[in-house]
Amino acid sequence: MGRYLLQRLAFAVVLVFVASSAALLLTRIAPGDFAAVQGVELTSDQRARMRASYGLDRSFAEQYAGWIRGALRFDFGQSMLYSRPVSAIVGERALNTAVLAVVALVLAASIGVPLGIYSGTQTGTGRAVVRTLSVIGLSVPPLIGSLALVFVAARTGWFPVGGMTSATVINLGWAAWLADLARHVPLPALALAIPFAAALERLQSEAIESASREPFVAASRARGVARARAILHHAWPVSLRPVLGFYGVMIGSLFSGSFVVEVVTSWPGLGRLMFDALKARDLFLVAGCAATGAVFLAAGTLIADLLLAYTDPRVTAGERA
Amino acid sequence: MTRRAGIFLIVLTMIAMLAPWLAPYGAADAFRDFLHAPPMRPHFEGLSPMVHPLVLADRLEQRFEADRSRSVALPWLERDSTAPVFLLGADDFGRDVLSRLLFGARTSIGLALLATLGAVVAGALAGGWAGYRGGWVDEAIMRVADFVLVLPVIYVVLVLRAVLPLVLPASTVFLLVTGIFIAVGWPFVAKGVRAIVVVETNREYVQAARSLGATHWRILTRHVLPACSGHLVVQATLLLPAFILAEATLSFIGLGFPDPVASWGTMLAGASNYNAVARFPWTLAPAVTIFAVVLATNLIATNSTK
Amino acid sequence: MNRQPRALLSVLLIGVVAFVAWRWWSGVRPAPDSDTAIVVSERPTRGGRLTSSLRSEPRSFNRLTDRNVPTDLYSLLTSNKLVRVNRATQELEAELAERWSIAPDNKTYTVTLREGVVWSDGAPFTSADVLFSMQAIYDPKVNSPLASSLRIDGKPIAVTALDARTVVFTLPNTFGPGIAILDNVHLAPKHKYEAALKAGTFAQTMSVATPPEDLVVIGAFKLTSYAPGQRLVFDRNPRYWKKDVAGIQLPYVDQIVFEIVPDQNAELVRLQAGQLDTLQQQVRPEDIATLRPLEQQGRLRVIELGVSADADSFFFNLRQPYWERDPRRDWITRKEFRHAISHAIDREAFANTVFLGAGVPIWGPITPGNQKWFSPNVQRYGYSLDRARELLAALGLSNRDDDEWIEDPKGTEAHFTVIAYRGNSSVERGAAIVRDELKKIGIRVEVVLLEQGALVQRMLKGDFEAILFVFSQTSLDPAMNPDFWLSSGSAHVWNIGQPQPATDWEKQIDDLMVTVMTSVDQTERKRAFDEIQKIFAEHLPVLYFVAPRLYMGVSTRVGGLTPSILRPQLLWNAERMTVNGGR
Repeated sequence: MGRYLLQRLAFAVVLVFVASSAALLLTRIAPGDFAAVQGVELTSDQRARMRASYGLDRSFAEQYAGWIRGALRFDFGQSMLYSRPVSAIVGERALNTAVLAVVALVLAASIGVPLGIYSGTQTGTGRAVVRTLSVIGLSVPPLIGSLALVFVAARTGWFPVGGMTSATVINLGWAAWLADLARHVPLPALALAIPFAAALERLQSEAIESASREPFVAASRARGVARARAILHHAWPVSLRPVLGFYGVMIGSLFSGSFVVEVVTSWPGLGRLMFDALKARDLFLVAGCAATGAVFLAAGTLIADLLLAYTDPRVTAGERA
Repeated sequence: MTRRAGIFLIVLTMIAMLAPWLAPYGAADAFRDFLHAPPMRPHFEGLSPMVHPLVLADRLEQRFEADRSRSVALPWLERDSTAPVFLLGADDFGRDVLSRLLFGARTSIGLALLATLGAVVAGALAGGWAGYRGGWVDEAIMRVADFVLVLPVIYVVLVLRAVLPLVLPASTVFLLVTGIFIAVGWPFVAKGVRAIVVVETNREYVQAARSLGATHWRILTRHVLPACSGHLVVQATLLLPAFILAEATLSFIGLGFPDPVASWGTMLAGASNYNAVARFPWTLAPAVTIFAVVLATNLIATNSTK
Repeated sequence: MNRQPRALLSVLLIGVVAFVAWRWWSGVRPAPDSDTAIVVSERPTRGGRLTSSLRSEPRSFNRLTDRNVPTDLYSLLTSNKLVRVNRATQELEAELAERWSIAPDNKTYTVTLREGVVWSDGAPFTSADVLFSMQAIYDPKVNSPLASSLRIDGKPIAVTALDARTVVFTLPNTFGPGIAILDNVHLAPKHKYEAALKAGTFAQTMSVATPPEDLVVIGAFKLTSYAPGQRLVFDRNPRYWKKDVAGIQLPYVDQIVFEIVPDQNAELVRLQAGQLDTLQQQVRPEDIATLRPLEQQGRLRVIELGVSADADSFFFNLRQPYWERDPRRDWITRKEFRHAISHAIDREAFANTVFLGAGVPIWGPITPGNQKWFSPNVQRYGYSLDRARELLAALGLSNRDDDEWIEDPKGTEAHFTVIAYRGNSSVERGAAIVRDELKKIGIRVEVVLLEQGALVQRMLKGDFEAILFVFSQTSLDPAMNPDFWLSSGSAHVWNIGQPQPATDWEKQIDDLMVTVMTSVDQTERKRAFDEIQKIFAEHLPVLYFVAPRLYMGVSTRVGGLTPSILRPQLLWNAERMTVNGGR
């Protein structure tokens, strides 16, 4: 177990490294650089000086070597866009996105998994209704979904229309701030959770359906175990395999932030940051965001694999039974 | 119901292929005085279906009124360029939504189906091989999948777009986008398949087949992968709408179909102004068709694997 | 087998019920507030909070190094200039400069600073601060974008201080706008940042990470908090020197909050919901209809700001080397080709489609919104497809085969590619119109929508055939934007930075610009610039079609507005804005 963990950790480091290097290289190759995009109205001299001051006129090898040296000291460079260290900006934004991601994760799981179990084990109208609702959830683009939720919030006044906090709670205490945050979270979290809930429902439904057909489930029924218990106790843990596989990716994606939802609901998160960094060709910020995304993905898949080893009795960590 | 879903899909495919003849107007025909015109309901005068033409009431508010003194025939029967007939309304360029839906069906369904098929096949083979062989093969394939998942696709597309020639014919865009979708989609499928195959490989029937001398390939394709068929269907259900919608995102980076070519993803992206949705809900028609296509595909695929 | 249709029916039923409920709910509107009556009294009320939107994050609070919209807004709220150009009236106003005198040679301005002005930390404002600011602007390490706007003939302005209240500016040459050039001088406190300038780190000061208490200001407001990604909060500066005619200290409002809302749709929703009082910049024409119902309820006002000074620019790459080996070189860079295009675009249809009718047709870079400099006496290319075809035929382009496109005598089809960028719906619609209109005269246009960075790269490198873009100006006086008009200029977009003027007419414009930039006789300047507009309209290096009318949505509780067509259209004079109710 310990060795397995170490292996995965080592791989995670490699993944982060490769992801950020790839992002750096790609941003460098992409047409236009920071000085061109930001300095459209400047003279070419001023742009050249801007390039020099940011070190953009050096060769890629030099820039890369400098970045690696810094990364080893946990200094991920300076953002040209915000004139602040990359780690500070990414850290703030990642935290904001993490709050959202955790809530969305819980929401998606608590909606999708039970509905999936229900539709996978029942026959009848309910199952078809759930399936249809899931397909609707999958077909609606996140943009329209978020806009619809914003619209509902505006009309009903139940939730604040976007943003993460209100202006009025700046100087109040912790409790008030938390309560305010709790009012702002549901809107973007719902927008994020709905497509994932639909996907989870579909996956869970199919998985538990095929797991229920396994002989050991029938055997447990034959032993007199009630249907519900047979499903939840015997079939469900086994059905988790493909679901948890998806879970890992879902965690990675949620924590990297969804650009669309964050823009529409004005949530200051990582997804928006990544897109802005790309638009502005902010080299080190792009690498920082890519690295963070890689960390979350590696963590997500690790958590999913560990959960799998824990719940599925047929497999131990290390995978090959 | 499956039969009905199947018939629905076949009809839809036929309609999509016959779009140039079925659509009342071209995908790019813009009627400048009819921006966001509402759907016009036909009524019957005797035996022929007729429509009251619309007249612009306020340009800034995009308000129209039906001219009840006149009637024009449906556009398949008679074409009057001053009185266009929009059975599903018009978009923000004044283009007929129905026609664009029909033309867009070709692009969107074709693209998404092909990409989904490719991603599912590639992912199944990769995940299946990884789960079956285990060991370093498993590790290698899964790590490659992780790497693809973590790579910021947007950046890749941006760079790709820059090295490609400026003007891209629609067929090139089609192939490129399909390729990108397959490359991005297979890791999702592979991970799920691998998780199932790892367990299946230890089953007695696999060992039995091996002892009978079956090759790895045969075991994989004939015995193991079919056990994942249910899961693959679900994956297809997840990927299909995602690909239809992702085409719009790609066009934001510059890798999109040239403007007159209609696609459901771009139509929806254009309708993403919430006020427009509230005032002109017919612009969301592609969402309904996407939903219908995905549901039908899901129904057919589910029942054909049972 | 009967379950599936029943299931679908149930879902459809739910959907219908939900839809009907939604429609009913949208009809139910909250009763209008009783205290949102339109402010009719002239007496400005002090107090209250104003909330506006901000579409992008500030990258820095240092206006000397950054001129993006958020930083400019920050500077407008927290700083004063020596002399400012009133953005509504285009008149000069004395701010920190109490009075000035101009020497007979028109090159030396002696400015007397206002007495008793202090920075927000209590330090007195003196001529040393002015000298320091100029020094910082010209410092190469700072690389300030303001430096080029404060150079005349490439030479800096010499500044000296006679005493603590008197500054002498010596210009290297006479300058048309005169002392209005000081509108470009943004001030920084010497006592705070002198050390940084000496150490070469001035460009990193006043960053977004600076704690607000450390930001020393001299204007109406000061920043009290910045929550990255969320909002900026400005409170009144109690040490602000300015008072209105009744002796009330400005600003009128206590606090201005900027909510950072990157999405335009979400911004509008918040305005409708009453969470925003006003917006960073104008609303889109399609949004006006959405705001009308609220106008009727008395909660919002939609005010017309005027005709925009910025319009979509359509231009070809006129660098001769680019077309050298292209078979189209005989006709594509000819001015008659551009005349034909200008004749072929139905500007009324353009205004109707792109701006829903809220636009005026234009034929040159100066729009009627720029009342002082607009010249109506330029050649106009009326909508005439026949005339366009004539002009093309004179170039040898006519339909020589069976298809709908015209060809030149060598058989090369008339076609070109125009690049625009995604994300601006009016630009996208404009490009589509250009393509459709030119199809009618047989020219095939390919519209390629690129990401903005890629487009900018091509524009700067000169690697394009045609581009459709919108440039935004900061000043209405052409002498303040010389880079567009001068052939050596960096914004001379059809052929950037020429060492020598490539054509005769560009040389003519260069010569006339000398008058515009250096003559102090305003009539002479106007005459020269009218001539420039004439030459421009004859050679059409850039084609213009329609200038949009600008509209702004603002809550009825806001008063004291001085609308301008330049961004930020209301907030440039935030110190005089009022909110009633003191909420």
